[in-house]
Amino acid sequence: MPFNLSRRATVWFAGLIVAANGFFPAVWILLTSLKTETELIRSPITFLPDAPTLENYVIAFTAQPILRFMWNSFVVASLSTILCVFVSALAAYALTRLRIPRRNLIMSLLLAVAMFPLISLMVPLFKVMRELGLLNTYLALILPYAVLSMPVCTLVMASFFQDIPPDLEAAAMVDGCSRVGALWKVVVPLSAPGVFTAAILAFVNAWDEFLLALTMMNRVNMRTLSVGITLYQGEFAFPWPLISAALIIAIVPICILIAVFQERVVGGLTSGGVKG
Amino acid sequence: MAPAGRDLSERSLGFLLLAPAAVLLALIVVYPIGTLFWTSLHGVDNANPAAGEQWVGLKNYFTAFQDDRFWSSTLHTIAYIVVTVPLSLVVGLGLAMLANFPFRVQWPVRLGLLLPWALPLVFAGLIFRWFFEYRTGVVNDSLMRLGFEPLQWLSDPTLAFIAICITIVWKSSSFMALMLLAGLQTIPRSLYEAAEVDGASKWQQFVEITLPMLRPAIFVALIFRTITAIQTFDIPFAMTGGGPGDSTETLAMYIHKTTLDFLDFGYGSALAALMFVLSMAATSGYLKYTRRSSGRSGD
Repeated sequence: MPFNLSRRATVWFAGLIVAANGFFPAVWILLTSLKTETELIRSPITFLPDAPTLENYVIAFTAQPILRFMWNSFVVASLSTILCVFVSALAAYALTRLRIPRRNLIMSLLLAVAMFPLISLMVPLFKVMRELGLLNTYLALILPYAVLSMPVCTLVMASFFQDIPPDLEAAAMVDGCSRVGALWKVVVPLSAPGVFTAAILAFVNAWDEFLLALTMMNRVNMRTLSVGITLYQGEFAFPWPLISAALIIAIVPICILIAVFQERVVGGLTSGGVKG
Repeated sequence: MAPAGRDLSERSLGFLLLAPAAVLLALIVVYPIGTLFWTSLHGVDNANPAAGEQWVGLKNYFTAFQDDRFWSSTLHTIAYIVVTVPLSLVVGLGLAMLANFPFRVQWPVRLGLLLPWALPLVFAGLIFRWFFEYRTGVVNDSLMRLGFEPLQWLSDPTLAFIAICITIVWKSSSFMALMLLAGLQTIPRSLYEAAEVDGASKWQQFVEITLPMLRPAIFVALIFRTITAIQTFDIPFAMTGGGPGDSTETLAMYIHKTTLDFLDFGYGSALAALMFVLSMAATSGYLKYTRRSSGRSGD
């Protein structure tokens, strides 16, 4: 019995450490966002807010166009996700279910793209987008984001496509489907979880990206959320309760997304990494 | 007869399906990288700026090699790699081992690993900047409660470097943990049971079974981490902006400043090209490894 008890305590303790490590920063800014500036400078600092206030959230919505930032992030992330998943699905299908020469080489090249330093790409992409007059347009971020997530999406979907029995496709083609028709009517529905996983990964990647967003969009109303949040800091002062409130607003959508689809996200991340 | 005909159509269909990906890659990666090298051979003559960008040959590269700021920012980048890659492996492995306990309720642990991954890097930087704040930050508060003096975390070069490393390790270790956890779960329980029968201690089991079985996952995680560490930008940008002075500036930050603040595209491109070569060296190592390991599994 004592052994059993200590075993259960160990398990509890292990879980507590992992959860605390992950949640602590988010919990701390949530608490900060409910404090007033005067409470903040008290020493020693308080953990729980004395008189919780939502004032910081009101200011967060009015001081900067945060809903506009969120909308920009949403447009860029969802359109780049759709483009990325569509293109990657076609590529993954070709690479797993069709006999094409130099399959491994193509796969390796695709992977190499994933390793490109974004900063090296940023300099010439900025020039290209400027010449095309695409700076401060959604397209300037949608296209690069779609490409950046392409390798991981292709890998994730390829690993799902591989598990579908070829007979099903053959049957659909006997029934008069073209090969591409079979792809959309048989393979894609059956690998919907894979497609969905790839989509979540692409969405989170796009939502979180900072460097290109900072570079391509310099008009305030075209800023995405990750860059927009940095606008809350003054030149010399950091209004932490306000910044915390803005951060909380900004991370809520992504938190909901990963909380709802957590198993899928973990599966996708590890299949892209381990099988890659 | 028939198989040959089917082969051909399958082949052309295959290339047709790969075409959209190829076009996007050409437009967003191949063409820009090409112009990167081209631009790096050009520069604006400060004596005659009206002439625009002129061919200068390898001058930008020679400038880079004599530029103290290039070397110091490269050194900082290497320091971040050397410190944070092994540390986030160790922390990630620790988290993975803890997360591998049989929990009855899975989600708090899983979300505890996912949240740091899903948080944008720049947000992690902002949050930890707040933690390391001198007067009101939680880190100095904890130090004072334990009877230590508060530290000037973000205005002392060494302490700022340490603070940034801690943030990077926190942000990246959970992704490592997720990958290693997936590796841990593929290790058959029977191996541990057999070791237990033979009287192996927990530590021996860890060294003799866990580590060797995890080797492929560890390798992949390390390479991924190294390649992202080469590009370190967001976290120092949000925490110190490269300061105090240029003491925490990375190569990526220097490139960004050169191109967008100083608008020196020629020189910025040369720096970016050097970085490209640096990370391609790391990538080719990775590709060599995966090709070898996929050959081994007989696929």
